[in-house]
Amino acid sequence: MKGLAPLFLGIFGTFAFSWVGLTVLPNWQIGHLNPQSDEEGTDIYPQPQSGMFERGARVYAANGCIYCHSQQVRADYAADDIERGWGNRRSAPRDYIFERPVFLGKMRMGQDIANIGARAPAEQASPAASGAAPATASSPATAAAASPATSPGSSPPAGAPSPGPKTGLASPSPAAANAMPGGATSASAGPQTAGPPWPIQTIGEPPMYSAAWHHVHLYSPRSINFDSNMPAYRFLYKKRRISDARSADALKLTGSDAPPEGWEVIPSYDAKCLVAYLMALNQSHPLKEAKSAGGAPPAAGSPAAPPSPAAAGSPAPAK
Amino acid sequence: MNATGIPLKEPSVSAAAGATEQLERAYIDASTRVPVLMFYTSAMAWLILGTLLAGFVSFKLHAPDLLSNISFLTWGRMRPAHMNVMVYGWASMAGIGTAIWLMARLCRTVLRYPLLLVAAAGFWNLGVLLGVGGIVLGDSTGYQWLEFPGYAAIILFVAYTLVASWAVLMFRYRRGEQIYITQWYLLGAFLWFPWLYAAGQLMLFVVPVQGVLQSAVGWWYANNLLFLWFGAIALGTAYYMIPKVIGRPVYSYHLATIGFWSYALFSSWTGMQRLVDGPFPAWMITASIAAVILTMIPVATVGLNHHMTMQGYFPLMRYSPTLRFTVFGAMSYTVFSVVGLLISLRSVARYVSFTQASIAYSHLGLYAFFTMTIFGAMYYIVPRLIGREWRYASLIKLHFWASAYGIGLMTLMLLAGGFLQGADMENPTLPFSETVETVLPYLRGRSLAGILLTVSHFIFAYHFGLMLLGLGRTSTVPTFLNPVEAEEASGGH
Repeated sequence: MKGLAPLFLGIFGTFAFSWVGLTVLPNWQIGHLNPQSDEEGTDIYPQPQSGMFERGARVYAANGCIYCHSQQVRADYAADDIERGWGNRRSAPRDYIFERPVFLGKMRMGQDIANIGARAPAEQASPAASGAAPATASSPATAAAASPATSPGSSPPAGAPSPGPKTGLASPSPAAANAMPGGATSASAGPQTAGPPWPIQTIGEPPMYSAAWHHVHLYSPRSINFDSNMPAYRFLYKKRRISDARSADALKLTGSDAPPEGWEVIPSYDAKCLVAYLMALNQSHPLKEAKSAGGAPPAAGSPAAPPSPAAAGSPAPAK
Repeated sequence: MNATGIPLKEPSVSAAAGATEQLERAYIDASTRVPVLMFYTSAMAWLILGTLLAGFVSFKLHAPDLLSNISFLTWGRMRPAHMNVMVYGWASMAGIGTAIWLMARLCRTVLRYPLLLVAAAGFWNLGVLLGVGGIVLGDSTGYQWLEFPGYAAIILFVAYTLVASWAVLMFRYRRGEQIYITQWYLLGAFLWFPWLYAAGQLMLFVVPVQGVLQSAVGWWYANNLLFLWFGAIALGTAYYMIPKVIGRPVYSYHLATIGFWSYALFSSWTGMQRLVDGPFPAWMITASIAAVILTMIPVATVGLNHHMTMQGYFPLMRYSPTLRFTVFGAMSYTVFSVVGLLISLRSVARYVSFTQASIAYSHLGLYAFFTMTIFGAMYYIVPRLIGREWRYASLIKLHFWASAYGIGLMTLMLLAGGFLQGADMENPTLPFSETVETVLPYLRGRSLAGILLTVSHFIFAYHFGLMLLGLGRTSTVPTFLNPVEAEEASGGH
């Protein structure tokens, strides 16, 4: 090769070609999405998040949660994410328009948590921190949508003979039900064979996926799921002497994790933000471009799509 | 250069080189001494730190309670710390050091503006130090491969700009009209990296793109860093070292041209295949998968070219440390690309895209391909900077076998574990925790492989340290891995 000019032009040209093709064009195509709303301009999804959410996302980034947890649900024709109960529809670009950084993730040493907030007990399903709580009134609730955790036949882990009184989601609630038709579907379809996608409710623990549960889980993952491979994040918590009364947000710890008499473990502000962030992760709101609960790829889906029993290939939700 | 000839004035038969030319070459080598050794020494320090972090990360993955109560030792900080130390500390610095030396040799001119490079090395070290410190203290940006916080990134960029401007300046002083194959790759790498880094930083931090596109930009950056930066340096190095050591010109100039341009064109379009089935327009992912398939063209041409060059000379790998490492690296380029192709196909990717298989892929690229090639180059270059030969052939052999078996075992473990993990994950009747249980034995195997690599790196660091202290052998004959007949030796160096 003679002369620098052709070499330089080629080097620049190949680079520019790739840059335009893989970043500029996609940015032109999906880089300026708006939230979706219905005809009246209400029921807006997604919505900007609160300050606690933002800070929680920083904590999530700082501690590298992304290296084990993804936040994307693949379509049912591509993978079994929905059947696993990780969501009721595939994730779409619009789900992430307010997220920065975006934590799609590339590794599942832990579960996908794109919808972990949707699993919270009813009274916490729309946490104050989120501000993005979808108005779900337009969608009829799917009954018997108790979390897979409470499905009959799920075997409790060692040391927990039976689901305790605090079994959380026993009463179907519109929010929780609408949140997880996919999960409910698979759980009700084969409770004998289908393992619960999430750790099983243990006696004496806070309701699953409640804020209190998240705190205990972060503080001591193996107290909730013996097989968990997640490191504990105790440095996000403070152990302190109880001054006069036990704090309201002190962790309800049992066994060897419990602090000594007269002491309590309380979450730091970072831990609270992280939990607020997790509780706000919720892609259960219907999106026009991503049909819920399986079936064909994006069609003219209506917002009321999720409970549709017509979804091809997947069993109808239990009534 | 003419249409038929082979532009191999420089790496051609060195035995025929006249005394003047040899003197000139020694003079050029001496002029690169300070900057190259500075980059190499820093790289070695980062390699050792990165290796220790790697072991820690690997063990913590199957022993999650190991030192988990200290915030800056938590797994989620150690992992990006390890990764960034290796990518920006070890691999980039060793790559730049090698590229500097090759540039001076191939431009056939003494190194000008050494202060530019010395400053660059200083800034680069500072950037990596601040960046890794930032990650450990919880300042990570949260974008994979670009975790360094802004204050570190800007320093790295300044350091980098110094290196790139030096490279362009050197080119102006080059003697002779020919631009050898290695120089195409090196010039490409020197120019691609700053554009790539700037594009990534701009689109993620300065004028951030919306939502999922951040991930697209992130993986576009990461893959191109692997190919256009590390891959280009390694291929350029192999194109120099293989003909140089065996004393024979590159088999085909035309194949090299096809290989280079198809590499630049196709490998730069990969990256999106890592986001397979994610929330993206399908065409993006399909385009990258197509590009991955098309990268088989440069793989085939480059591989064929190296193979035909080596034809009949493979026995020399018994003696020359450089050749042995470089050929291992060049062969790994093929393996890396074929594995990359395999795990990108949609039918396979649905199983492995969220598993350890992608870690195997990164290690194949960054270690088996890039790092092994650079080890080979260092075995060639360092004696020429110091004027001493490597002291112990046995240590080089140990280094090679520990590295080769280490990376081989690690790749097998991660691939096998990844495939099984992925198959389990696609079986929704299996509780998730069992999919993790499935992969744990393989992660323990990976830790075992990590021990081998740790041994190999410590051996190399010790040997390198001996060289730095001037404790190498004083000899006119390079250190061969095995005793060698006199006539074979003269052909080698």
